[in-house]
Amino acid sequence: MVRLLVLAVLAATLMVVDARFEVLKPVRSQLGLVLMPFYGLADLPVRLWDGINQQFSSRSELLAENEKLKAEALLMQRRLQKLATLTEQNVRLRELLNSAELVDEKVLVGELIGVDPNPFTHRILIDKGERDGVFLGQPVLDARGLMGQVVEVMPYTARVLLLTDTTHSIPVQVNRNGLRAIAVGTGNPERLELRHVADTADIKEGDLLVSSGMGQRFPAGYPVAVVNEVIHDSGQPFSIVRAVPTAALNRTRYMLLVFSDPRSPEQRASEAAQAQEAHDRELAEQAKSPAAVGTAPGAASAPAPSAPSRPAPAGAGGAR
Amino acid sequence: MGEHNGWLIWASYLAGLLLSVAPMPGFMEVGRPLWLAMFITYWILAVPQRVSMTVIWLLGLAMDVLYGVLLGQHALTLTLIAFLMLTLQQRVRMFPLWQQSLVLLVVFGLAQLVQLWLNALAGNRPPTLAFLLPALVSALLWPWVFTALRSLRLRFNVN
Repeated sequence: MVRLLVLAVLAATLMVVDARFEVLKPVRSQLGLVLMPFYGLADLPVRLWDGINQQFSSRSELLAENEKLKAEALLMQRRLQKLATLTEQNVRLRELLNSAELVDEKVLVGELIGVDPNPFTHRILIDKGERDGVFLGQPVLDARGLMGQVVEVMPYTARVLLLTDTTHSIPVQVNRNGLRAIAVGTGNPERLELRHVADTADIKEGDLLVSSGMGQRFPAGYPVAVVNEVIHDSGQPFSIVRAVPTAALNRTRYMLLVFSDPRSPEQRASEAAQAQEAHDRELAEQAKSPAAVGTAPGAASAPAPSAPSRPAPAGAGGAR
Repeated sequence: MGEHNGWLIWASYLAGLLLSVAPMPGFMEVGRPLWLAMFITYWILAVPQRVSMTVIWLLGLAMDVLYGVLLGQHALTLTLIAFLMLTLQQRVRMFPLWQQSLVLLVVFGLAQLVQLWLNALAGNRPPTLAFLLPALVSALLWPWVFTALRSLRLRFNVN
């Protein structure tokens, strides 16, 4: 009886401490290091089965798949051709705007190793963790759209909260006209709901919702969902808008972790401008005093600090 | 430990942890049996002197880490189950299997309600009383689990 009381009080204390303070986070992360292989072990039969299936899948199936992939590759290549010119154009425009930053965000590929056993939450476990540079709140995508964000980081694994969890919301905008809204998870893996959309708002079935980048958590412009139902009920203050996530939330095995630049576009532009200015000033000073030959190595090394400062943001994002 | 073959108990605990995260088809996920709690209950009924509350508490902590909930949630409910079963053990071990199932239904249901309440406090509100389903499924599975574990216990002579 005494033991029950002691253990119960201990458990209650742990819960309060874990909920209110950050003290237990490292403990949990280290325990996770020991315990997460359980997920891998439990998933082993499925993996083995998949492996065997692949080994013995018939020749015709492989041929069909090959055909399909070839067709897809062709399509992609066509798009890539367009992309090359667009990228070039983009770079030129950026040069015109004097911002040295590249738009490309760094990504890391993660693999699903487990699904949360609690059916009332939509969370998954992936095989990348703190050692790979994964950080809390990091956005996760698949090939078709946003999937969710990292909510718990362990040394070699991380837990991802999906968009459709009832506790998750994401700021979005309609791709067609820029109308902003908040997409809230419903607990159904095939449905998001838009909150507080006025009855008169210009939104209709088939509209693509993309992340708006507000809230500074998700990068802007990634597809989130497609509106599939707009209900105007005069008894309700707002219209009911339902959307289907574009990402295959409960089917994807591989996903991308995005390392985006944490600075806002304005900050980025002003910092780039400052760096450019400093560089120009240095060049001007060198031009003024070209007499000393001893400054030549200094001149060679002078731009160097500014050069590595360019990829630094990506590295800083990764190290967090 | 070599004398008592206690390793079997530990192996069953590990198996319980493994089974509680094993992938299941989506529609069955709601009724995932409380494997670890069932195994613990069996050992309490069979060899109560070999079961330690502290170990059960630590197992609960392991469950919390695996499930990613507040540390202490499963620790509390598993300790509660262990305490109730240890208290009732003298009588329950004499019951026929179906009556044991009924006792289990009540005890596990109680633990699940505590779990539901703690979850609501922590902010993840599971929407329905479907949360009680695992207790029901566990109670229905109990006769088979009991028989299987008993044959294992007799073969390896755990005492």
